[in-house]
Amino acid sequence: MDEDVLTTLRILIIGESGVGKSSLLLRFTDDTFDPELAATIGVDFKVKTISVDGNKAKLAIWDTAGQERFRTLTPSYYRGAQGVILVYDVTRRDTFVKLDNWLNELETYCTRNDIVNMLVGNKIDKENREVDRNEGLKFAGKHSMLFIEESAKTCDGVQCAFEELVEKIIQTPGLWKSENQNKGVKLTHREEGQGGRACGGYCSVL
Amino acid sequence: MEAAGRAQAARDRVPRIDPYGFERPEDFDYAAYEEFFSTYLVILTRRAIKWSKLLKGGGGVQRSMTVKRYIRKGVPLEHRARVWMGVSGAQARMDRNPGYYQRLLQGERSASLEEAIRTDMNRTFPDNVRFRKDAEPCLQGPLYNVLLAYGHHNHGVGYCQGMNFIAGYLILVTKSEEEAFWLLDALVGRILPADYYSPSMLGLKTDQEVLGELVRTKLPAVAALMHSHGVLWTLVASRWFICLFVDVLPVETVLRVWDCLFSEGSKIIFRVALTLLKHHQASILEATSVPDLCEKFKEITRGRFVTECHSFMQVGVSHTGPPGDWHAHPAPPTPSAVGGATWDPPEPVRPAPWLLLGLPDIPINAGPTLSPPRCLLSRPGGVIPVCPLSLGSRPGAGCVHSSPELMTWVLHPTGPWGRGGH
Repeated sequence: MDEDVLTTLRILIIGESGVGKSSLLLRFTDDTFDPELAATIGVDFKVKTISVDGNKAKLAIWDTAGQERFRTLTPSYYRGAQGVILVYDVTRRDTFVKLDNWLNELETYCTRNDIVNMLVGNKIDKENREVDRNEGLKFAGKHSMLFIEESAKTCDGVQCAFEELVEKIIQTPGLWKSENQNKGVKLTHREEGQGGRACGGYCSVL
Repeated sequence: MEAAGRAQAARDRVPRIDPYGFERPEDFDYAAYEEFFSTYLVILTRRAIKWSKLLKGGGGVQRSMTVKRYIRKGVPLEHRARVWMGVSGAQARMDRNPGYYQRLLQGERSASLEEAIRTDMNRTFPDNVRFRKDAEPCLQGPLYNVLLAYGHHNHGVGYCQGMNFIAGYLILVTKSEEEAFWLLDALVGRILPADYYSPSMLGLKTDQEVLGELVRTKLPAVAALMHSHGVLWTLVASRWFICLFVDVLPVETVLRVWDCLFSEGSKIIFRVALTLLKHHQASILEATSVPDLCEKFKEITRGRFVTECHSFMQVGVSHTGPPGDWHAHPAPPTPSAVGGATWDPPEPVRPAPWLLLGLPDIPINAGPTLSPPRCLLSRPGGVIPVCPLSLGSRPGAGCVHSSPELMTWVLHPTGPWGRGGH
C-alpha cells in the first residue's frame, strides 16, 4: 500500500492552548468534529496519506499541547519536521498576539531553514471574530508563511490547508528528497494565480 | 449468535454510565466487563469487610505494614478519601491549616492563571456527565476552585495542564474541594518529584529518561525498537506520567494505582508503566513504523489486562501474579520490618535529590527509599541516571552506582524487575 507513496512528511501543529489544534487534526484525519474534545496533554500523533497533484505523501502529524511549559517537552519534534502549522483562534486576539513567541520557538528549534510554515486562523464559523483576515495575511506575509483561515467545525478550508502545505513541501525537494531519491515527482502544470483551483481563494503562497 | 446474545444481555444489564459519571466508550466490552466484575465484586466485598474492621472506631488512618498490604489489595471507594488523606499526610496538613484553602480563594486572583484554568474547564472529562456545563450539580465549579487555589498556593507551579484531570479525579473520590486540594498538594508537592508540573518540567523529563533507562535494562528489545525508529519516550509516555494514568487506563484501574501511589510514592508510576510494556512486549515488537509504535502504545492501555484492575495490580505492584510470568515476592525489606512487626515509614516524599550537570542547581530534598534516585549525568546521546547525592541515613538506602542497580532499587529489590528482566 505504501509502494506508491512518494515520501513520508513530518508535520507539526503548534499554537496556543484551546485554539483548536486537535480539532483541526481530527477533522483532517477522521473528518469528524467533536465540540468537546479533551485537552491534549504531552504530544499526540496521527498519520494520514494525502494525494497532491498526483503525488502521494504520507503525513506523520504531531499534535502538541498548547500550554507554554509543554514546549519544553517538544523541541526534539521540531527536528526533522518538514512542515509546521501554526494555529491561532480568530475569536481570541491573545492567541494571535502570541504568534511571535511561537515563531521564536520555531527559529530556536528547527534544524532546517527551508521548513515550510503555514499560519492557520481557526474558528471562522464563529461570529465574535477578533482578528481580521487581513491581519493574518499581513503577519504571514511578513514572516514568509503560507496562510489560510478555516473552521475545523464546518470543515471549511481544512483539507486545503494540508494540501497547500504538502504541495509547498514537495516543491522544495531539498526538504525531503534525500530519503527518497529513487522516486520521481510528478510535475503537473498549474495555472499561476488563483484560477482553476478550489484552494485558490483561501491560500496565499507568500 | 449465542455470544452476541450474551453481549447484548450484558449491555442491557451494565449501566452506560459508570459509578463515577463517565460514559462508557462506544467499543466498551460489556460482556467481558460483566464477567470480570462478578469476580471482582466478591473481592471488593471481602476487602470492604476487612477495611471496615480495620477502620472501626473512626479517626485517621495510620501508616503501618498492614495498611500498606491492605492498600495494595485495593481500598473500597467508601474509604478511599479517608485512606488517601491519611497515608499521604494530606489530612494532617489540612488539620494544621484550618481555613487556609478558603483564604486562598478569597485572596487576590491572577488573571492569567484564571484564564489558563478556564480554557480547560470544558475540556476536562467531556465524557463525564458530572463535569458537563449543564450538570446539576456541576463539578466544573469545584474543579475551578481547587485548581485556582492550588495555583495561588504553589506559585512555582501555578496551573499545568494535566492537573485538571488529576484534580477532577480527586474531586470525584473525595466529593470535597478542600480534601481534593490537600491531596493535590500531597501529590504535586511531595509524592511526585519536584518540577513535574513547573514551567521547566525538569522532573517529568528526568522521569522520562529514567523510564527509558529502565526499559533499556529490562526490556532491551523494546528499547532498541524505540531507538531504531527514533521515537522518544515523551511521545508515547509523557501523558502517562503527567496525568498519572488518568484518561489512559480505565477509571477503576487508575484508582487502584493511585491507592498505591499515595501510600508508596512515585515508584508506582514506573512499575505500572513497565508492567504495561512487559506484558505487551511481543505485540509492541511487531510494530514496523513510528505510527505503528504509537498505535501500540495506545493499544496497550486498553483491553482485559488493564480492565481487570485487581490482577493488574497484583502483577504490577505486588508481584503475586501467575507463576511463570512473575517471580514470587517476599515482603520488601524495609528497615523496621526487619527488626519489628510494624512498618512506619514517613510520608512518601519527594524522590531523592538528583543532579543535572550543566544545569542550574536543583533544590536538594533528601528523601528515603520510596523513590528512585534521579541523579543524571550528561553523556553524548542522552542522560543516564547515576549516583544520588544523598539518600538519607536509612539502612539499605545506599548509593546506587550503576543503572542496573538503579533499576533493581527502583523496582523492588526482590520483585521480577530485580531479577534480570525477561
